[in-house]
Amino acid sequence: MKVVSRALRGVREHVRTQVVSVATVALALFCLAASALVAQNIGELSRRWGGPVRMTVYLADGANAEQVDALRAALGSLPEVQNARYVSPTESRALVAGDDRVMASASAELFPATVELALAPGAADSARIESLATRVRRLPTVSDVETYQGITGQLQSVLSSGRNAALIFGVIVLLCAIAVVSNTVRLSLHARMREVEVLRLVGASPRYVRSPFLAEGALLGGGGAVLAVALLAVVFFMVRGRLDMMSGSIGMRPVFLSLPLLAAFVLGGAGLGATGSALAVRRWLKV
Amino acid sequence: MGRPRIGAQFGRQFRPDGHFDRSAAHKPILVLDGVVKVFRADAPVLRRVDLTIERGEFVFVTGPSGAGKSTLLKLVYRAETVDEGRILFCGRDIARLTDESVPFLRRNIGVVFQDFKLIPYWSVFENVAVALEVAGMPSRIIRSRVAMALERVGLAGRGEDLASVLSGGEQQRVAVARAIVNEPAIVLADEPTGNLDPVLALDVLGLFEEIHEAGTTVMFATHDRTLLEQSPQHRLIVIDDGRTIEARQGLRAVGGAFAAQREHADADDATATARLPL
Ligand SMILES: Nc1ncnc2c1ncn2[C@@H]1O[C@H](COP(=O)(O)OP(=O)(O)O)[C@@H](O)[C@H]1O
Ligand SMILES: [Mg+2]
Repeated sequence: MKVVSRALRGVREHVRTQVVSVATVALALFCLAASALVAQNIGELSRRWGGPVRMTVYLADGANAEQVDALRAALGSLPEVQNARYVSPTESRALVAGDDRVMASASAELFPATVELALAPGAADSARIESLATRVRRLPTVSDVETYQGITGQLQSVLSSGRNAALIFGVIVLLCAIAVVSNTVRLSLHARMREVEVLRLVGASPRYVRSPFLAEGALLGGGGAVLAVALLAVVFFMVRGRLDMMSGSIGMRPVFLSLPLLAAFVLGGAGLGATGSALAVRRWLKV
Repeated sequence: MGRPRIGAQFGRQFRPDGHFDRSAAHKPILVLDGVVKVFRADAPVLRRVDLTIERGEFVFVTGPSGAGKSTLLKLVYRAETVDEGRILFCGRDIARLTDESVPFLRRNIGVVFQDFKLIPYWSVFENVAVALEVAGMPSRIIRSRVAMALERVGLAGRGEDLASVLSGGEQQRVAVARAIVNEPAIVLADEPTGNLDPVLALDVLGLFEEIHEAGTTVMFATHDRTLLEQSPQHRLIVIDDGRTIEARQGLRAVGGAFAAQREHADADDATATARLPL
């Protein structure tokens, strides 16, 4: 830890530059962590909504139990179908109504009888789903088929373009953070040129001369990351408090970044700072 | 404090292979052999310098400004490299030293400058201790060694003061403490009195003489004639037109160790003294 104290020994001489630098890094990393958080929660959302690909087969009115059974068996034996389950109108009503008393008291006849299909993972691409739907529609006792392709496809494309945007943004932010740290360490190097001169004069190895500057960068990056995470936590829990009322309609409660992810984030911040300072040291410190 | 264990310490620390070179103890501490240093091709700074310095000598190096005094010292602590020739430090050619070995060389050489080269925002203690810290010495030993060094330069008890609050003379004493704290084989001083008034200058010269008395070899570059006159017992080397001239034999330069060089020097002696504004 001696190297850290050597790094700090110089820091006390130009505190303001360091504070500005940590703040900038924190801001940059905050944006990054925030987009990671959003991406994580949207990913969770899409996993819940997406699940295994489903298909709902609506039965024609007046289909009798035997017909229904035969249809369910036929659908279940298709290679694309993993599981076929009959959902009676009563069950449908219960599913849709939930806790709603008014809905629950409505006549079950108003609700459709369906067979819910869970498709095999291999059969999840839209072309195969469409061809399956077409074949199933032609069957007797089937009135209609819902493939959910419209919704799923849209959600997928929104998610993937969001992910790409976050990725590009993240890379830019990372580069900026590295540049900021690099610049701070450069200032620090110039402020401490005399120290460097003395160290070399009394026989310090190049590594000994460089290490406090690398440590300084790592501290700036790590400190910025800790600050960013703390800030994000504050914002997140405030926002989630507001969201709690509507969380029922989203179908999930947003979660904060996991501990391993947070640790990785702080370590990453330190690594990023070290990278920035390594650039400055390579460019400006001749030992 | 006692006499520094020059040979053993040097042998252990300087040789990266850790092998103690016993023969080094009997060799001259510094030999410059046909040294040439050229910055601008039309005006070489050192044309051909042959010079031998024995262990325990006190040597003045003088010459007008721009003669190459600083350059000569820089070659010894490897802030510059020779263009031709050899520099043997304890028998080892430092002109051919790899870059990785230079720090080890520097730990065996103390250097003092005109401008002190202290870190103003470090304490006196920190400024001296740095010379031991770079070698990874345990802090307990550092504390006692720094205290001893500060005592030797007359700054006992001033360790906690910031370097910037000291007077010029005191700052130079801190720099001297830093140079000797590692008990180096040789101390190089490049115009160490240049920034001090005449009284303080004599003080600092006295300090180097004490260090010399304790057994350390001293190379003292100055163009201050008062100092040269103050201590006529020391050997005096003049750099003139890129060559060194033996202008005055030191008290120690008696005996066979470098009789050959003395003969060579004697030949030049008349001309050298004639040219010298002494
Ligand atoms: N790094 C350098 N580059 C070019 N010229 C130099 C350099 N260092 C010294 N010189 C030149 O070498 C000559 C000797 O300089 P120096 O050794 O500093 O003289 P002194 O210390 O005797 O006053 C001067 O003419 C100086 O300009
Ligand atoms: Mg000079």
